[in-house]
Amino acid sequence: MSVFRIAFKNLLRKRTRSLLTVLGIALAAWVLISLFGFNRGYESALNRDIDNLGFQMLVTAKGCPYEAATLMLKGGTGLRYMKEGIAEDIRREPEVEDVTPMLMQAVFDPNKGESGGISAYLGVDPATFPRLKGKLEFLQGGWFERADAREAVLGYEAAELEQREAGDYLLIPDKDVEVKVVGVLKRTGTQDDGTIFLPLRTVQDVFGVDGELTGVGIKLRKDADPAGFENRMYALPDVQVVSLAQVKTTIMTLVSTAKVLVLSIALIAILIAVVGVVNTILMSVVERTPEIGVLKSMGALAGDIFRLIWIETVLLCLAGGGLGALLALATERLTEVLVRALLPFAPSGGLIRIDAGLVLLTLGVIVAIGLLSGVYPSWRAGRVRPLDAIRSEVE
Amino acid sequence: MMHRAFGRGGRARSFALASLAFLVAGLVLRAAVGCDLNDPDRDVRRLFPESTGYKAVYVSIAKKGGAELLARIEDRLGDRFQGLFETADVPYTMYSVFKGETLVGYIHGVNQKGSHGGLQVFLALDPEGTIRSLYFQKLTARSAKAFRDPSFGRAFEGLSLGDFYAYDVRSGLETPTGPVARIANPAPDAAADFRAVLRAVKKNLILVDEFLLDNRHLPSVRPLDAGDIR
Repeated sequence: MSVFRIAFKNLLRKRTRSLLTVLGIALAAWVLISLFGFNRGYESALNRDIDNLGFQMLVTAKGCPYEAATLMLKGGTGLRYMKEGIAEDIRREPEVEDVTPMLMQAVFDPNKGESGGISAYLGVDPATFPRLKGKLEFLQGGWFERADAREAVLGYEAAELEQREAGDYLLIPDKDVEVKVVGVLKRTGTQDDGTIFLPLRTVQDVFGVDGELTGVGIKLRKDADPAGFENRMYALPDVQVVSLAQVKTTIMTLVSTAKVLVLSIALIAILIAVVGVVNTILMSVVERTPEIGVLKSMGALAGDIFRLIWIETVLLCLAGGGLGALLALATERLTEVLVRALLPFAPSGGLIRIDAGLVLLTLGVIVAIGLLSGVYPSWRAGRVRPLDAIRSEVE
Repeated sequence: MMHRAFGRGGRARSFALASLAFLVAGLVLRAAVGCDLNDPDRDVRRLFPESTGYKAVYVSIAKKGGAELLARIEDRLGDRFQGLFETADVPYTMYSVFKGETLVGYIHGVNQKGSHGGLQVFLALDPEGTIRSLYFQKLTARSAKAFRDPSFGRAFEGLSLGDFYAYDVRSGLETPTGPVARIANPAPDAAADFRAVLRAVKKNLILVDEFLLDNRHLPSVRPLDAGDIR
């Protein structure tokens, strides 16, 4: 009979105790796998959301609101301009893969709400913006093709608010200009959903701001150093740089607090599981002292006893780790729902990413912890003197 | 369901939400869905000066009765729901308005497609479902000023769903001529928008009747033909 079968049968002799120990390890493994899965999943989901935005950096005139929500909070005021040539200057930088010029404008709409409201429009370059925003999908229609076309593309929620579909006309209040809706975007979960896109030249013409921009979106090459490039951009006169790396850092800092808390809980769970394993094996060694004495008197060496007890520990940890991995996989969706409810900001897409590599890594960690925690009970069992052991049973 | 008395809490909450939106605006900005009052505390008090509080319930045709309810509402409206955004899963916010413990009326708004943009048509109703006032929360149209003129809104006061059954929202005619036909179009150049407003009012009244008034204005209506425009 192999030593593994003997160890397995020994564990079955105290089924309840072994089962409770396995459950303790399983809970610790469950938390650990879910936490590591979250660690991977959250960051990749955040990166995916940032990639979907199309550009990692935005250069705007100093003090200029850089997205529609801020513009509306400021009551449509505070726009600052840069000359159109800045987009080409930035494009020539070696780190830059692509740029897209943008012009945001707002009008006061007296027929919005009780006392009027602000409607914002984003002028974009049809030659570059769709390229950078390649992940945007259309529910109806497509992008405008000319930079001076009297056409519009609406984000899903902007289209819903205006009840517009491709082929409808949309009035720009105050300017008394109508544009034809040529596309409605699918919902993205980003600020694009609430945006009304017009061709850049159309916005410049309708609002009388020829040759001006409010922002330049920049996509950097994969090997570029964003921090170094950002510092160089600050050298340009009267501009501010909004880096999505900053936004990501801020969000990751917020989330890291929650991660530290959960990691602490996981560590405590692992500690409790280790103590449980040591306790279970030690009790087993004490109860089986006479039996170990008989084994030794029959020729078993200290190393054989050490190996037997150590294998029992590893079997417990493997069973617990395996069960924990199954639990983590089975409750992946539920964990995600809970995490989303708890976090201050959660990106779209899967937040928990558990794969075979992660499961094997966690099993490895659990087994390593098991091996360590099994050293003392195994060593103690190996040191049992046969005569003392047999005598203790007689007494 | 939410039951709230007036106070500064609503504004504080709105400000907090706006701040949070600002914080993560680079990544996420979710606009309102359906047709809510922009500032319920202020708007309810303006539409019902005597009120002391309100309760909001959120309903949709899909959740309340699904395809069967949608068909009944379309029959009562005399028109099919149309386009991308007029669907059974649109969430409606129904405000019940109170003075102390006494119900003094309802407020409800619907989105309606206009010729140049969206209309948000709100009705303030008494507990029987009679119009107290009409309010355009949003109106994108060249003739917006004419439609928002108080005299146009006053033309709807005192009407209820029963007055609208003879009005055909597709042709814009009322047969026999009744109170709806007597509502004058304040912008003759914008006939499509005028008809859109009347359709929104009729649809609004039907939804209130279905969701809040237990169909007390339900008549026997002719089901729409299979060939009716969808």
